[in-house]
Amino acid sequence: MTLKRILGTFGFLALTVFILLPLVQVIVLSFLSTLHHETAPKGSLTLLNYANIFRTDRLVASFLNSTIYVSLNVALTLIVALPAAYAFARFPFRGARATFFALLAFRVTPPVVLSLPAFLLFAQIDMLNTPVGVALAHCVFNVPIAIWILESFIRGVPKELDETAFLDGYSTPGFIIKHLIPVIAPGIGAAAFFCFMFSWVEVVFARTLTITDGKPITTAISSLFGFQTDIGLVMAMTSLSLVPGLVMIWFVRNHLSRGFTVRV
Amino acid sequence: MTSDARAWLYIAPAAVLLLLVGGIPLAINAYHSFFDIFSLENKFWVGGEWYVSILTSERFYDSLMRSLLFSTVVICVQFPLGLLIALSLPRGGWVRSLGLILLAVPLVVPWNMIPAIWLSLINPETGAIGQLITAFDIPFDYKFNPVHTWLLLVVMDTWHWVGLVAILACSGLAGIAPAYYQAAAIDRASRWQVFRFIELPKLTGALTMALLLRFMDSFMIYTEAFGINAGGPSGATTFLSLDLGEEIKAFNYGPAAARSVIYFAITLLIVHAFWRLLSARREDAG
Repeated sequence: MTLKRILGTFGFLALTVFILLPLVQVIVLSFLSTLHHETAPKGSLTLLNYANIFRTDRLVASFLNSTIYVSLNVALTLIVALPAAYAFARFPFRGARATFFALLAFRVTPPVVLSLPAFLLFAQIDMLNTPVGVALAHCVFNVPIAIWILESFIRGVPKELDETAFLDGYSTPGFIIKHLIPVIAPGIGAAAFFCFMFSWVEVVFARTLTITDGKPITTAISSLFGFQTDIGLVMAMTSLSLVPGLVMIWFVRNHLSRGFTVRV
Repeated sequence: MTSDARAWLYIAPAAVLLLLVGGIPLAINAYHSFFDIFSLENKFWVGGEWYVSILTSERFYDSLMRSLLFSTVVICVQFPLGLLIALSLPRGGWVRSLGLILLAVPLVVPWNMIPAIWLSLINPETGAIGQLITAFDIPFDYKFNPVHTWLLLVVMDTWHWVGLVAILACSGLAGIAPAYYQAAAIDRASRWQVFRFIELPKLTGALTMALLLRFMDSFMIYTEAFGINAGGPSGATTFLSLDLGEEIKAFNYGPAAARSVIYFAITLLIVHAFWRLLSARREDAG
């Protein structure tokens, strides 16, 4: 038993080091002056990198753009995914499994494959260079995943809950809003986390659909690489880009650990 | 209203949205793949020419093999590791919360920063691992040694994604009622039997989701692989999506569209095979 404990502790430590080492590297570099600056000689400890971010309008704007499209995407995804998930969980209809697979097919469509025609399409409907366009494009991979997760949660809710509410005179939409959503709140949290995650980190769509304006963090960071890259500034941007994700993780940590059964 | 009609009504918003942002672009691609495109107004019908030239080129099959190999390696490393982590985490308490938070952190790092972070980590002058490598005089050259490039890619991808497998597995495990474990203890089931007959069946769903996500994201890896060595050394990490990226960057719209259609078909075929396999097992299980 003690040997098992020691192994467990050792494994946990090894995992922690493996995961944190690259991040520690990022944070350390973000506080170092990596190019020669007037106030901070190369190699000195400084807050200059962070100050430079807040001094550069386009870097600050990129945070705003990313936050807007990710929030829009999560909201839109949940709104369309919830009724669909309810239908898959509760109405046994012909072709349900085939439809479910068709939805999944969109999740497995590679963004690189879609980027060019999506650009042409979004140019036609005047959705380029705006966070709304990116939010819409990210639905391709987020809606299927959200439906899958929410469906699993709804199936875990006893049918009696629906039936009692209908006897009380609730319509289906009324029941979903008043009764079902509070019950599957952990599922909505988990779905929101996965949507947030896949949208926040995505690069190909976000870059292709914002040519002149509305650029996300990922593009802003890429644009910092050049002949003389200020790695300190890059790492400061990277550190800051983790903050919203960490906040999100903090909120859903209990939902993720409470557990759910995903159905196939 | 019949049950069928109601179901479709509820699915309609999601379906319309997906057809708009996914279906139409796929259709545009399929259409363009039959043309030589100079500009959108100036295009010439070439029929299946692009398809023939891609499907008869050796390069395509080489890239396909590399992508399949990469997905296989990545899944073979991350699934056992992720499962092991999920099974070792305690079922409650702060260690579990901390573990889950740790596992989730790499998932929220923007994808184009992941190669930058790892390159800076192995940088011989400023990187923590790079300095160790120099200090111990370990020969490591990710730029010109294909094995080392692959090693770096697999380690980096594992760092990035093992958390997803572990978190999904954890969620599945937490959903198992304690009564199952008590029954197993009464029957004096071994640890392996508990895993094989109680935990694994309950994990099928979560692991399928993890498998689909991991397969697809590794099979079409682009941003991270390109950032490490741009497909090198001498093409050793040129995966399918890197070939496509190259064509898009060169504005070869026609061939790029044909290639996109082929890639989509391959992904769909493989995912459909997974799905069929699971459906068959589901029916077996009743």
